[in-house]
Amino acid sequence: MLKNYFKIALAVLKRRKFFTFISLFGISFTLTILMVATAFMDKILSPDYPDYKRTRSLYVSTMEYKNTKEGWINRSDVSFYFFEHYVSTLKTVQKMAISSNAKASNAYVNNKKLVIEYKYTNADYWNVLEYRFLEGKAFQKREIDNAELVAVISEETKKAYFGDAKTVIGKYISADNINYRVIGVVENVSKTLHNFSGDMYLPYTISKDYKNIDLMGSYNAVLLAKNDADVPKMKKEFDQMVKKLPLPKDFDKIYCNADPFFANITRRIAGDGTSNGLTKVVSIVSLFILLFLLLPTINLVNINITRIMERSSEIGVRKAFGASSKTLVYQFIVENLILTFLGGIIGIILSLIVIHLINGANLISNMRLSMNFTVLFYSLIACIFFGLFSGVYPAWRMSKLNVVKALKAQ
Amino acid sequence: MFKHLFKLIWNKRKQNFLFLSEILVSFLVIFAVFSFLTYYYQNYSKPLGFDYKRVWCITYDNGELTKNKDSLKIFYDNLQKALKSMPQIEEVAYSGSNYPYSDSFMSTGLTHNGKKFNYIANYTVGADYKKVWNVSLLEGRWFLPEDAVSKNTNIVINETLKKQIFGTAHATGKLIGNYDDKEKLKVIGVVQDIKASGDFLPAGSAIFNPMDTAFHKYTHNILIKVREGADATFESQLYKFMANTVKNAVEIQHLDEMRDSRNKQTIIPMVIFIIISSFLIINVALGLFGVLWYNINKRKGEIGLRRAIGASGRSVSYQLVMEAVILATISLLVGCFFAIQFPLLSVFNIPASAYIIAMLLSVAFIYLLVLFCSFYPGKQAAGIHPAVALHEE
Repeated sequence: MLKNYFKIALAVLKRRKFFTFISLFGISFTLTILMVATAFMDKILSPDYPDYKRTRSLYVSTMEYKNTKEGWINRSDVSFYFFEHYVSTLKTVQKMAISSNAKASNAYVNNKKLVIEYKYTNADYWNVLEYRFLEGKAFQKREIDNAELVAVISEETKKAYFGDAKTVIGKYISADNINYRVIGVVENVSKTLHNFSGDMYLPYTISKDYKNIDLMGSYNAVLLAKNDADVPKMKKEFDQMVKKLPLPKDFDKIYCNADPFFANITRRIAGDGTSNGLTKVVSIVSLFILLFLLLPTINLVNINITRIMERSSEIGVRKAFGASSKTLVYQFIVENLILTFLGGIIGIILSLIVIHLINGANLISNMRLSMNFTVLFYSLIACIFFGLFSGVYPAWRMSKLNVVKALKAQ
Repeated sequence: MFKHLFKLIWNKRKQNFLFLSEILVSFLVIFAVFSFLTYYYQNYSKPLGFDYKRVWCITYDNGELTKNKDSLKIFYDNLQKALKSMPQIEEVAYSGSNYPYSDSFMSTGLTHNGKKFNYIANYTVGADYKKVWNVSLLEGRWFLPEDAVSKNTNIVINETLKKQIFGTAHATGKLIGNYDDKEKLKVIGVVQDIKASGDFLPAGSAIFNPMDTAFHKYTHNILIKVREGADATFESQLYKFMANTVKNAVEIQHLDEMRDSRNKQTIIPMVIFIIISSFLIINVALGLFGVLWYNINKRKGEIGLRRAIGASGRSVSYQLVMEAVILATISLLVGCFFAIQFPLLSVFNIPASAYIIAMLLSVAFIYLLVLFCSFYPGKQAAGIHPAVALHEE
C-alpha cells in the first residue's frame, strides 16, 4: 500500500516540475532554518566540552536581595566567601567548582595588543569540569595554598602570545604587569559557555577579592552531587541553607538558587529570584517558531490545494469505486510527508553548508556547530510536524470533493 | 466593472481565502522588516554628535586605592597631570562607567512643573569630557571649576531632553527638579545629542553631572584622546604606567573598535532577519505565481469566450491583474488595521513616523509583488486563442 502511495507521490512530483520546485524550495528552506536553530540550541543545551556532568550538577550564579516594602532589588554574582563558608558545609555536595567572572586584561606582544580574559578558579574546578589538557596540568591545592603565580592558558592564547612555540610550559606570560608561569594549556572553550570560557585560568588565592566577607561578589559555582538521584536532595539542602543566611542591612529577603543548567540560563534571561523564567522563555520561543512556520505553511497549503484540484478526476474515480474519505486523507497526508522528507533531505544538505559557513566565519568565538544525531532527531520531528501541519487541511478539502463534480470537471 | 470583479472573487471565496491570508501574513512580515529598517535609517541619518576617533578608555580596578577622600583627590589630580604630560595624549577626562559605546547604562528621572521624565541617561563626567569627545554646545556653557561651590548642582542637558522639557524655549539658567523633586538642578548648558549606543540607535535624553570628590571612590574609567602618532608601543607603555599606578587589573580599549562591535550587535541580527524574510518572500512570490498561473489555465473556457465575443487581449489580462490587485487590497486593508495599532499605541517607543513610512513602503512592496506575480500569467491569458480554448470544451 505504502509502496503504491510512494509511486503515486513520485509520479505527481514529476508531473508539474514548477510546482514541485516551489514546494521543495519552501520546505527545504524552512527546515534549513529550523535545523540551524536546533544545532545552535543543541550547542548551548546539551553537555559539551568541558561541562559533561550536567545531569548531576546544579549551577549557582546569582544572589539577589530584596526590600519588599520599598521594592528595591539588588542583584549580583555570588561571593567566594558564600561558597566557602556556607555552601561547602552542605553534605550532599560532593565537589564544587568555583570560578570568577572573566576579567579582561591586555598584553602586548611584538607591538600587537592582545586581550586576555582571565578567571580565578579553585582546585576542584579542574576535577568537576573536564578540560582537555594539550600539555602540562592544572594547578592543585599546593599551588593554591602557596598563592603561586601560575596560569593555565587556552590554546588560542598560546598561539597568540607565544606564536608557534612547541611547548610553553615553564614560560612566563604577563598580564596586568604580573608574570605568571604557564603550567598547562587547555583546548579552547566555546564562548557560548559563558561560565567556563576564558583565555587564562589562575588560582583564586592570588585574586584580590576572595577574602571579602559579603554574600555578593564576582564568582559562580557548579555543585556536583554524588549521583543523579542526589540532585533534588542537594537542591533542597541548598534552599534550606539560603533561608538561614543573615539578612543584609535595609533588605528583608535573600534569594539565591541552585538551578539545573537550562533553568540557570533562563533565570538569567527572563527570571528573577523567585521564578526561573523557564515557562516564559519556552513559550516565547515556541510562539516565535510557530509564527515563523506560518507563512511557508500557508504557502504550501495553497500549492497543495491547487495540485489537488488538478487531480480531481483521479480522486473522483477512486471515490466512485468506493474509496472512503479516510483512505484518501490518509493517502494524501502520506504523499505530503514524502514530499516533506524529500525537502528535509535537501534541507540537511543546505544546513550542512550553512553550518560550515557559520563555523568558518567564527561568529561567536570558538563556537563549533555540528550536525549530530540529536539535531537530526529534532529535524525529523520538525519534518513530520511541518508535513502534517501543511497536509491536513488540503487533505480534508480533497476528501470533501463531490464525485459527480470531480468527474465532470474534465 | 469592479462590481463584476467582486462577484467573481466572491464566487471563489474558499480558494481566495488562502490567497488573502498569505498576502496578509507576508504584509505583516514585510511591515516588521521595513519598520526596523526605517527606524535604523532615521537614526543613522542623524549626526553622531561626537568624535570617537583616537579616543581610548582605560578601565582599572580601584580596589587597591586609598579609601581616604582627600588623598584620593590628590591621587586623581596627580594622575590626570601625569597622563596629560605624556606627549602622545591630547586630552584626559574621568568618567562614570557608562561612557559612549560601553555596555553600561545608568538612568535617572527628573521632575519639571509636576511632570515626570524617566529613563534619562545619567553621565557623570570629568572636567575635560567635552574636549575628549569634541561635543558641540548649542547654548550656555560647559562646567567650570567654580561650579563645585555653587548653590544648586549644575547640570548640562542634551538637545532631546531640552525639547522634551522646554520645547523651543531656552533652557540655560532654568531649574529642574531631581527624581523626587526634592532637590533643584540648574541647567547651565545644552549640548548636541550624542548617539552613545551606536549609529543605529537613538541618542535619547541625557544629563551630564560634574564629577565631584564623593564620586572618586567609584571612579574606574579614564577617557583619553591621543594624538595621531600614538601606536601599540605607546599603548604598552601607558598600560605599564597605569598598572603600576593602580596596582591592579587594567584594560585599555579603543573606542572605534567598541563602536564597531556595538554596531555589529545591531547589524548582525538585522542581516539574519532580512535574509530569512527575503527567502520567505521569494517563497511566497513563487507560490502566488504558481497559483495564479494554474487558475488562469483552469479558466481557459471563460477567457476564450470573452475573446470570442470581442474582448481585446489587453482587457483580458487587465481583468486578471485587477482581480489579483483587488484581492491584495482586501488583505492590505486588514493588514493596515493591525499595523496602524503600532504607531497609535506607540509600541516599543519607536517614533510614529517610522511606522507610517514602513507601512507605506510595505503596501507599495506588496502591490509590486502581486503585480509582478500576476503580470506573466495575465499576459499568457491574453495570448489564449478563442478557437483553441473553446475547442477543448
